[in-house]
Amino acid sequence: MECYSEQTCALAVDGELAADEAQRLRDHLATCQRCRALVDALRAENRVLSESLNELPEEEASPAAFSPLRWSWGRGDLAILAVVLALGSIVSGWFNELDIPAALESFNPFSVSGRTNLIFQFFYYVAHGGTAMLADYAAVVGWICLLLLLGGSALLLGRRGRPHYPGLRLLIVLLALSLPSFALERRHGEFVTVAANETVDDTLVAAAKMVRVDGVVNGDLLTFGQTVEVRGTVKGDLISFAQRTEVSGTVEGHIYTFSRTLDLEGQLGHSIYGVVQSLHIDDRGRVGDGMVVAVGDVSLEGEVKRSVNIVTGGSADVSGSIGRDLTMVGRSLTLTNTARVGGNLSARVRQLTEVQIADGATIGGKRDIQVRVRESQFTSSRFYFHQAVWLAGAILVGWLGMLVFPSFFQATTQLVGSGWLSLGLGVGVLAGVPVAIVVVAITLVGFPLSLMLLSLYLAAIYLAKIWVGAFLGKILLKPSGTTKGEWLLGLLVGLLIVTIVGFIPYLGGLVHLGVVCLGLGAFACQLYWASRPAI
Amino acid sequence: MDAKRNMAKGPQPREGGSSQMEGLDLESVIERARGHDAEALGEIYRRYARRVFGLCRYMLDSRESAEDDTSEIFLKLQRSIESYDRSIPFPRWLLRIAGNQCIDALRRRKRGRQVIADVEDGAAVIEAPSSEPSPLGVVISKEERTKVRDTIARLPENYRVPLVLRYYSELSYDEIAQQLDLERNYVAALIFRAKKELRRRLPHRSK
Repeated sequence: MECYSEQTCALAVDGELAADEAQRLRDHLATCQRCRALVDALRAENRVLSESLNELPEEEASPAAFSPLRWSWGRGDLAILAVVLALGSIVSGWFNELDIPAALESFNPFSVSGRTNLIFQFFYYVAHGGTAMLADYAAVVGWICLLLLLGGSALLLGRRGRPHYPGLRLLIVLLALSLPSFALERRHGEFVTVAANETVDDTLVAAAKMVRVDGVVNGDLLTFGQTVEVRGTVKGDLISFAQRTEVSGTVEGHIYTFSRTLDLEGQLGHSIYGVVQSLHIDDRGRVGDGMVVAVGDVSLEGEVKRSVNIVTGGSADVSGSIGRDLTMVGRSLTLTNTARVGGNLSARVRQLTEVQIADGATIGGKRDIQVRVRESQFTSSRFYFHQAVWLAGAILVGWLGMLVFPSFFQATTQLVGSGWLSLGLGVGVLAGVPVAIVVVAITLVGFPLSLMLLSLYLAAIYLAKIWVGAFLGKILLKPSGTTKGEWLLGLLVGLLIVTIVGFIPYLGGLVHLGVVCLGLGAFACQLYWASRPAI
Repeated sequence: MDAKRNMAKGPQPREGGSSQMEGLDLESVIERARGHDAEALGEIYRRYARRVFGLCRYMLDSRESAEDDTSEIFLKLQRSIESYDRSIPFPRWLLRIAGNQCIDALRRRKRGRQVIADVEDGAAVIEAPSSEPSPLGVVISKEERTKVRDTIARLPENYRVPLVLRYYSELSYDEIAQQLDLERNYVAALIFRAKKELRRRLPHRSK
């Protein structure tokens, strides 16, 4: 009898052969050693496959085995991220050591009980009905945190192409204004759901792994979660901080979001403002107003009544309808046959080939497609003018400083030379002072003090560069005396070097940070020495 | 019941918290979850998140998508757990839903096109010339299993997806065909070819 093919044997081993055929194969196996060996080998192979697949690695799946992140981070971004993380860990360590009064414990994001972050704690506190005055102060802290969060991410996204973000500024202001100063209902847990037959009359603050709204929220919905899903109706605004935000129901107000993905399949009364990695407006999705977003990738299949402004690090695909203008800055733009733009189309991309507009796409207004030339800042005279103004300003400030506090300025310049001590101290000051400012601000009496501290901090960051520049100039020029003139000449040379090095890609940012830390450290050190009583 | 319990991989490490649910058998947990008990749903998440995440990780190309879709699957589970009729073991049912979700995700990315396109020679099977590598060996070490896993992860989508559905989710050819909207014969051919490709990519082992 003729032997069976490998595929038939494989089917049999998978238990996918018809009963009669399987029987015939079994009969054949009884007599044919070759086929029996093949079936055994295939069976062993299946076992290997099952075992290998089922043995998930401890660290879940190892990222190296898969294609790289969709979001291709530039090294500059990674450097910023690394610095932010490093500073964050320093702050967290410092924060842990700090003896915080019990009343403020709820603001400590690193306390044992505090798995949720500072912002969560902040809203919990407000929802618990803290004293009105403290709530006011706390709101300021909350604003600062939110602004920093949004500002930082906008900067990160914006690094890809010097975008104009009037819209983002608007977002920040609106977000700040829409923070709670009114009735709140707070819910938290693993799953937070507003059932289909349920109506929440106040603003709902929901913090959970999964937040789902099937019913009606009459106020705003403020959510923090891994997944936020709105299937019912939110009469106010939706403000979401989530990995994934999905709206398949109705939001009558605006959507302010800081999410990894935002899917809109339902109706939105007004606009979307947000920082999102991946934004998708489904063909059922409808935006009553416009859109101002900074995104990784965006795909617009539904309808947007008014203008769309996109700053994207990746691609923008439009196959839906936009009532007015479409403005985008990013890598690539695709308009399919079904795309419709009522107003002007304006795009800033790196290459003209990255713009694809199908013949069937309708554009009501003008087409304005421009190629953004990278590094163009060095070719424009304005850039050099700004640098010159900055340099002149710094020299002027240095000269004034030397005039008013000559010994302090010279001694601080000297202290920059203590290297690691200054650097270490500077990192501590850079990271620690903002925390101190926040902590001081939330105590009732400390608010004015915190403002003073903040001004001093900002001034010191500015002056840091001057001291480091002066120090650099001094070791390069090796002046014989310590006259003001020589100090200023050294400052000019040093500042020039610091400024030029600062424009080296990637390295420049680190150098800049190092310079600020060195200067701050020297300043802190000098302040300490100066405050000690002279014996 | 124990067999079913064993199919669940260990608890998700980051979900360290213990609860009274932990000791309950799967049947009661499911029963309570059907009544929209958040704690029971949480327990199901704790028991199966890792396994579901594993599937998503094999099916989708980035960790973020896998994480997103894992949460999505458990979110959908709240609604769909009522439709679980106990005709098949729960883990298998859950993995079927998870597979569907992943395929939807792949489809969304391809803007609604089929994940795996049916080719003209659909059901045709290319017979193996005798010189091709033989089936993978019997006992392999942990490192080698890792290698097999990594190689599967790097296979093209049209090989990887059916292979993972068959040997990780343990779906039948018919179920895979239904999920992928393909002919059963074509699924069989894809799995067969996937294995051949895998053998080709892995260093040749003795029989």
